[in-house]
Amino acid sequence: MRADLPASLFLLTVFSLTFIRNIVLLFVVFLLFSGFVNAQDKVNNAGNYLLERQQYAKQEKLSEQRSWHLLLKYGKKTLGGVVSEADGLQFFNSPQGKTNPEEELAATLASFFVPMSDLAEDEEHPQCRFPARFKWLNQELNFDPRYLEIQECDRLARWVEALDPVGVTLVFASYFLNNPASMFGHTLIRIDSRRNEGERKLLDYGANYAAIPDTENALLYALKGLMGFFEGRFEIFPYYTKVQEYNNWESRDLWEYELDFTEDQLNTMLLHLWELGGTHFDYYYFQENCSYHILSLLETANPELQMKDQFFFSVIPSDTVKIVMEQENLVKQIVYRPAVLSQMNHKRLAMTDEDRQIFHQMVKGKVMPEDPVFSGLPEQSRALILNAYMDYLQYQSMQKEEIAQEVQIPHSILLARSRLQNVRDESDEPDQVDQVIHFSSSPEQGHGADRARFGMGFNQNEPFLELAYRPAYHDLMAKDVGYDKDSEIIFLDFKTRYYLESERLRLDRARILAITAMNPYDPLFVKPSWRMALEIDTLRDRDCNYCNSYKSNFGSGISYRPEYFSPLLLFSFIDVKTEFSGHLKHDYRFGGDVEIGAFYDFTEDWKVKVAGGYQAFVLGDTKDFFTTNFEARHSLSQNLDLRLEYNRFDENYEAILAVNFYF
Amino acid sequence: MKKFSLIVMGTVLFFLYTPVFAAGYGAAGCGLGSIVFGSGSGPKQIFAATTNGTFGSQTFGISSGTSNCGDHGLINLSKEREVFAQQNYTSLVKEMAQGEGESLYTLASLYQCPAETHQAFGTMTQDKFDRLVANAQTTSTELLTLIEDEMASHPKLASSCDYVLTASN
Repeated sequence: MRADLPASLFLLTVFSLTFIRNIVLLFVVFLLFSGFVNAQDKVNNAGNYLLERQQYAKQEKLSEQRSWHLLLKYGKKTLGGVVSEADGLQFFNSPQGKTNPEEELAATLASFFVPMSDLAEDEEHPQCRFPARFKWLNQELNFDPRYLEIQECDRLARWVEALDPVGVTLVFASYFLNNPASMFGHTLIRIDSRRNEGERKLLDYGANYAAIPDTENALLYALKGLMGFFEGRFEIFPYYTKVQEYNNWESRDLWEYELDFTEDQLNTMLLHLWELGGTHFDYYYFQENCSYHILSLLETANPELQMKDQFFFSVIPSDTVKIVMEQENLVKQIVYRPAVLSQMNHKRLAMTDEDRQIFHQMVKGKVMPEDPVFSGLPEQSRALILNAYMDYLQYQSMQKEEIAQEVQIPHSILLARSRLQNVRDESDEPDQVDQVIHFSSSPEQGHGADRARFGMGFNQNEPFLELAYRPAYHDLMAKDVGYDKDSEIIFLDFKTRYYLESERLRLDRARILAITAMNPYDPLFVKPSWRMALEIDTLRDRDCNYCNSYKSNFGSGISYRPEYFSPLLLFSFIDVKTEFSGHLKHDYRFGGDVEIGAFYDFTEDWKVKVAGGYQAFVLGDTKDFFTTNFEARHSLSQNLDLRLEYNRFDENYEAILAVNFYF
Repeated sequence: MKKFSLIVMGTVLFFLYTPVFAAGYGAAGCGLGSIVFGSGSGPKQIFAATTNGTFGSQTFGISSGTSNCGDHGLINLSKEREVFAQQNYTSLVKEMAQGEGESLYTLASLYQCPAETHQAFGTMTQDKFDRLVANAQTTSTELLTLIEDEMASHPKLASSCDYVLTASN
């Protein structure tokens, strides 16, 4: 028996070992099998979960919500339905996404479930490509991380972390001096970072939407811009590059509107901007332009804001600033950032007459810093003159075609300035230089760009009523707060008259485009004034039953303002004129005119203009005659003014009292 | 020697750098190193100005990467001072001669100088102007190195600012 014991023990051991091994094997198999089932389950579950969420979204009509439409840039089509403004197809997850919000939402949900292994190596996960959509859908649908794997978005996370927004600022680039067309302005946003709070605004990032032009031809440029042939893209860049561009290169004042958004709204805006960076839009100069897309971006951050849909004909940047200002508690603070030439003019105003003369001579190269006429001046005067001179040189250096690496302001000037004490240290009382003078006025104070006009008047024959409308933009007689005070741009201004006695309705005038740029004489920048017009007008110097003519004129002239802020502006022009009309002998006349006149601002609200001219047509239907023009304007409010006009053309005259409403 | 190694490093970085952007990537880009102000006829083009496209030819599009930028499309922190100085060079030099100004104080803050020392920083650059900008050929990178040297020996700035980073990047 004793011998059997080890044997049975042995058998038992072998048996139990086999048993254990089998159990282990079985367990392993079970584990393997159950693992497989689990994975299978998970796929099924995820699939079911997706279906269930898609159904829920459909049932809740999420795809009809404003947030979804804002995120996908859907706009109403004229004939019903919607279409997205985005033109890059990668912006959509469904092939029908551009026109079908519901399909797009379902496809977007499905894309969030795509496993990483199904993506190409350098492709980012849809959750990371469309983080704002993911954020919003997650809020609405509460994704369950057991069924939906939440992706880590490394690049996005670093991007958001680097930008770290605490605020956003709407930035308006004002017109640049004496360029009427620039009156339309430009808007961009600045993302105010936590790490740049205080005096480091230059280091913040800016974002804007801009066209990528592919032509230098001005006419093609205009046409393509109007018709949406340019591709528009969102860009992000350090804010200081825009300050250099607008403030120093183009010398445009910047107006900064710090906006009030919660951190969560800012986060949404940033995530949305990230989505927009990957797509493009057709750029329409008047409608889907820089300002439109900026408004749209702000609305995405806070869908309760409704701003972009208030525009009817065109979205003019200064009007978008007004809309933003009208929103309750949206604008926290307005900051004026003067252009380099505004800074220079500021210093010029602070100079004594004698210093100003020396400054002008220095600009012309007639006085050097080492000349006794300069070095004999008090230190404070010298510092001020050199400061202004350096502003001037900085501006000039940026006008060159290419900028080299070296120092742009002559070394001798820099050195001379560095040896002088700061202006401020010299005087105890606050210096004139420290006061902020606005060389442009903030755009929200300006009148609306659209104008409707109702008038009544009489001419040499009979009384008449007048009705007119134009969508843009500003005329020299209008109140110039918010606009360049020496420029005029009139676009599609249609005016009809009803003559009461002859009971006739006539097109009195249709100005397709009229631009005037007065460049008051400045010894530093001598530029001629100029004006042009393309229009249908009435042949006012003859009696042809108010017949029309097609007219174009272009002229050049000089204008003079005694001082920068003087209320008086004198001008004179010489123009070349061409007119075509069936009522003219030979169907046309060609000639020119000379005009002189003056504008005077009694107050901000009262302005008058007096002008006299002599016109001579030397080809076609030849004739010469004198013209007289008197106008007075009284502003009743920002958007309402009264005009009194008296015009004389040869023997004919007309007098009109009109009221203009801007909107 | 320091300058030479900077140039070598810069060149190597430039050639090694391969853009990691690919189609479908989000976010607007960077491309800052390639900006040249004033190319194109600029303000003379009325229509260009109104369609806001004057700068469009130097687009900061998503696919343009430079050695100054990270793959997230923003400027690498280590390059921030260099890029800032280069892009704002004329403003900086002007303000140095005046001893004050926003760009100058921003540069000071990039050296981690606390706000109360910015005026001292400005005064220092004015006092040492002839040394910092010895002639018209001084580049922005050279200027930074010289400013750092001056800061090192400045009684106040040496202790309150951090001025050693640029050279090592």
